[in-house]
Amino acid sequence: TGGHTTEILRLLSCLSESYSPRHYVLADSDKMSEAKIRSFEQKRAETFSKSQFSLDRIPRSREVRQSWISSVVTTLYSILYSLPLTYKRKPDLILCNGPGTCIPVCLSAFLLGLLRIKRTIIVYVESICRVETLSLSGKILYYFSDYFIVQWPELKKKYPKSVYLGRIV
Amino acid sequence: FRFKDSLAEELQSADLVISHAGAGSCLETLEKGKPLIVVINDKLMDNHQLELAKQLHRDGYVLYCNCSTLVETLQSMNLSALKPFPPGQPEKFASFLDEVFGLQ
Repeated sequence: TGGHTTEILRLLSCLSESYSPRHYVLADSDKMSEAKIRSFEQKRAETFSKSQFSLDRIPRSREVRQSWISSVVTTLYSILYSLPLTYKRKPDLILCNGPGTCIPVCLSAFLLGLLRIKRTIIVYVESICRVETLSLSGKILYYFSDYFIVQWPELKKKYPKSVYLGRIV
Repeated sequence: FRFKDSLAEELQSADLVISHAGAGSCLETLEKGKPLIVVINDKLMDNHQLELAKQLHRDGYVLYCNCSTLVETLQSMNLSALKPFPPGQPEKFASFLDEVFGLQ
């Protein structure tokens, strides 16, 4: 969604073409991100002609402030979609930055890793908006990600296993 | 207007921006080098939005007030005391990932 998409596209801006093809996963209810992504990829294709990407949608796993119990149910429903998708793409790297959509995708990858089907590296970058506290996705993925990146020093102090590179968006 | 795809044009021609504490609004404005007053609405505000606004204020990048103190802030503001906002560095992220994957 909105801010998350803008941040993630900035994170991608300096990556080399080794990080290709890029598979974007969006919530089905997200109306604005697709245009931003296409615009980013179009510009990218001007420099790197062999650039490739795809877009997939999965059901939105959680509305803002949705209750805990119903979130578990809707997330499980999203996993029904994200699991075959992750299995099909078998990504080497999952990069995410916080929207609820990342949870089913990361959990699917984690599961495929446990089943020895594909070992995916999960890199989570907490949003620049998060100065003192982690988002709900962050709190969960702090334990499941391979690398957890924060953008403010207070968070690095509170979450010592995180990586602090300063502001990267 | 109620909603526009991009405020880039308006931002470019503005001398001062008064905004809510949404991260997108704050960062976009600061990146364009425009002085910014962030107005906090305690009743509507989602706690975590305040974090960024407070930090930006602590670091000296924005002025900060609530709806009732806005006029006072406008009257007494010293915009030249605001520090320029350095851009983020996605290249550091790229280097980090390259190290993780052994691509240098």
